Amino acid sequence: MHSKVSRRNVLKATAGGVAMAALGMPSILRAQDGFPNRPINVIVPFDTGGYNDRLARAFAPFLQEALGQPLTIINRGGAGALLGHTFFLQQPDDGYTILCTSAAPYLPLNILTQDASFALEDFYMVNLPSQDYTLLATSSGSDIQTIDDVIARLKEDPGSLSVGLQPASADLVNFSILCEANDIDMEAVRIVTYDGGGPARNAVAGGVVDIGLVGGEGFLPLAEQIRPLLTFDVRQRDGWEGALVNEVLGEDPDFVVGSQRGWGLHASMQESNPEVFSTLVEAIETASKNPAAIEALKNQQLATDWYGPEESNQMLARTATVMEQYIDLLQGT
Amino acid sequence: MIEFTSVWGAFALLGSDLNAWLYLLPGLVIGLVFGAMPGISITMAMAFALPATLYMDFLPAIIFLTAIYTGAGFGGSVPAVLMGIPGTSSAVATTFDGYPMARKGQHNQALGIALASSVIGCLMSYLLLLFLIAPVSNVVLRLGPLEMFAVAVWGMLLLGSLAGSHLSRGLLAGVFGVLLGTVGMNTAGFTRGTMGIPWLLDGIPQIPAMMGLLAASQLIGLINTNYLITDESSRKISFSKIVGGVRMALSYPTIIFRGSLIGVIIGAIPGVGSSISNLLSYSETKRNAPDGDTFGQGNPKGVIAAESANSSSEGGAMATMLALGIPGGGATAILLAAFAMHNIVGGPSFIANNKDIVYALIFSNFAQAILLLFVGLGFVYVASYVVRVPLRFLIPSVLVVATFGAYAIEGSAAGPITLWVFSVLGWAMVRYSYPVAAAVVGLLLGGLLEGNLLRTNQISGGDFIGYGLERPWALLIFALMLGSLMLQTLSKRRRRKQTEREAQANAASEAS
Repeated sequence: MHSKVSRRNVLKATAGGVAMAALGMPSILRAQDGFPNRPINVIVPFDTGGYNDRLARAFAPFLQEALGQPLTIINRGGAGALLGHTFFLQQPDDGYTILCTSAAPYLPLNILTQDASFALEDFYMVNLPSQDYTLLATSSGSDIQTIDDVIARLKEDPGSLSVGLQPASADLVNFSILCEANDIDMEAVRIVTYDGGGPARNAVAGGVVDIGLVGGEGFLPLAEQIRPLLTFDVRQRDGWEGALVNEVLGEDPDFVVGSQRGWGLHASMQESNPEVFSTLVEAIETASKNPAAIEALKNQQLATDWYGPEESNQMLARTATVMEQYIDLLQGT
Repeated sequence: MIEFTSVWGAFALLGSDLNAWLYLLPGLVIGLVFGAMPGISITMAMAFALPATLYMDFLPAIIFLTAIYTGAGFGGSVPAVLMGIPGTSSAVATTFDGYPMARKGQHNQALGIALASSVIGCLMSYLLLLFLIAPVSNVVLRLGPLEMFAVAVWGMLLLGSLAGSHLSRGLLAGVFGVLLGTVGMNTAGFTRGTMGIPWLLDGIPQIPAMMGLLAASQLIGLINTNYLITDESSRKISFSKIVGGVRMALSYPTIIFRGSLIGVIIGAIPGVGSSISNLLSYSETKRNAPDGDTFGQGNPKGVIAAESANSSSEGGAMATMLALGIPGGGATAILLAAFAMHNIVGGPSFIANNKDIVYALIFSNFAQAILLLFVGLGFVYVASYVVRVPLRFLIPSVLVVATFGAYAIEGSAAGPITLWVFSVLGWAMVRYSYPVAAAVVGLLLGGLLEGNLLRTNQISGGDFIGYGLERPWALLIFALMLGSLMLQTLSKRRRRKQTEREAQANAASEAS
């Protein structure tokens, strides 16, 4: 019996190998006479292990297949992605360096608060599949049951609740919108600032802060320890209970989406290397729509939705405009 | 508590899969080699091996990575003892007494002691993990900024013991270190002291700065010496002396136990970890030892304290990771990434549904610790040949390796530049007898102190005392700290009285 099964497996593997080779051949042939004819670098402006790093590494095999050249992931973390973004733009726009980043909020933040040497128009977003959102939550053991409790308590005494969040974040802007709409004096609220989403979420789950506003996707592993109160989006996300932002702030509410993460190129490439540019855009589209890629990424809780360049760049520009209105808040003055 | 059906399940898992055992040895060796290279951190060694685990089954993959974790945890101590370079920030306190021991010609013993303390620390931490995984995870998330601030203050107590002959200079160096530790963007988003250099926004790169301060400055000071150990007859590499060191470590069970306990608890707190636990354990041991004054001059107890604490932090960090699904530091973040690659999400539900896997991991780590003893013996035997290399070859090669390491860890010229700037600074501090180690402790703790004091202020709305009274854990930490300080004063006074009495008795007997 054993030998039969293994023979069948060998046959299967061989067939698979032939199929792979057949699929691979055209791209190898194409590779010889033009772009890309050497490995391509992917700049991730964050350290290993974060969302963008995981996204880049999980997506790389499929993009590799579409491009016919291996990808090398380079982590350039630091200074809220400012270092990595600057490094990316310093590389030649020949298509051999591409970017995987949290375009929002970090590109607008680099420009608005960190005096970056670049403009938003220097980047061209091919696709931003991951659209995070702010989740307002409390510890599962807390006596706060709904968002109305939060608003009522803060209205009565703004200092009655401590609020954990990251400085200069979409979450801070959303909290200020919530305060403004309910006549809460934000200056008097006890805001506790954390260095990253992880520590802020831990503080919420442990009841160290009364409520917290942090990116919702990262809360998933802690789902049992928190109680979601308000999702800053007009549709339910990731199965969180609690209110949606339009139920609290009215129809067509003003709020900022969270991190928008995905793939970017040098905008200048559109003029300098239009053929390379369209090859890359097509490859990213092919890989994003590859069913194997969609399944592999879904299993790792990563997004692959295809929005396309037009919508992605518009979404980013919209976020940047809203963030600009809150520049004083973001600069911490 | 322990569930015996799951325990049998774990044995069945480990017994049925040969792969689970095959990767132990390569994992330990990779960890040892990478950890021993200055500048290559535990996290980097694990990140390097991560892609390879994609093609393994889940359990062998995780066992392979934790073997690297265990190996690298000890690997960092080898350069700390032999050259005074902490390979990782968790081996800082090992240099305080390990390096002086090596310079006295006791390098064999020092390495043996370090190995034995690491092995036992690691064993104990997983043993504690076996029993404490549930209660630890309940407490860890509840620890707020005030508790973390208390831990940081406890670490700062070490400054007093590092000061040497001039207390004022020690404190000055410590404050200088704390200021350096606060460079960059603070937790509220304000930027200080970056001089417009973007890579300083995340603070001064700690590991290159530490290597520069501690090691390069020492090496520059050694330039007129021929060998690390001046006495030629002491330059021997002796296996029996290494084993003697192992035995010596075993004769101080209290120090190892205290170190392991501190290591597990501190290791379990996210964002603190082994780089703080070795300092705390060293300072507690020094304060409680009758011969505390000889710490820093090559007292084996200092090595035991540091090594048992840094290796036991692994178990603590694993407890938090397994129980809550959150990474306490870089190494556990890589482990969680490996979990994700196998489509497994860590956290409470993982533990509840996969107790057998959790126990299998713990038992496998027992095996790792025991195997580390044997692999480590061979490794330190080979590594100790460093003492026979003439310094005119050793110093330049170590500086070159440190420069490469600094580049590797930062990924840009920022690493080497930091290394060189801090080497000069360290040399100047040694030249004018300011304790370099105090500045390193300040640098490591500065960010933790400032961030958590600031958050305590934010969370309490300025009412520190009212808030503090609501935080039982913080009160407990402060009480323990005060208790430890009072015990020290009492025992010191008792010892002084005793010596006085003995002196009187001697005088009296001589007079009669």
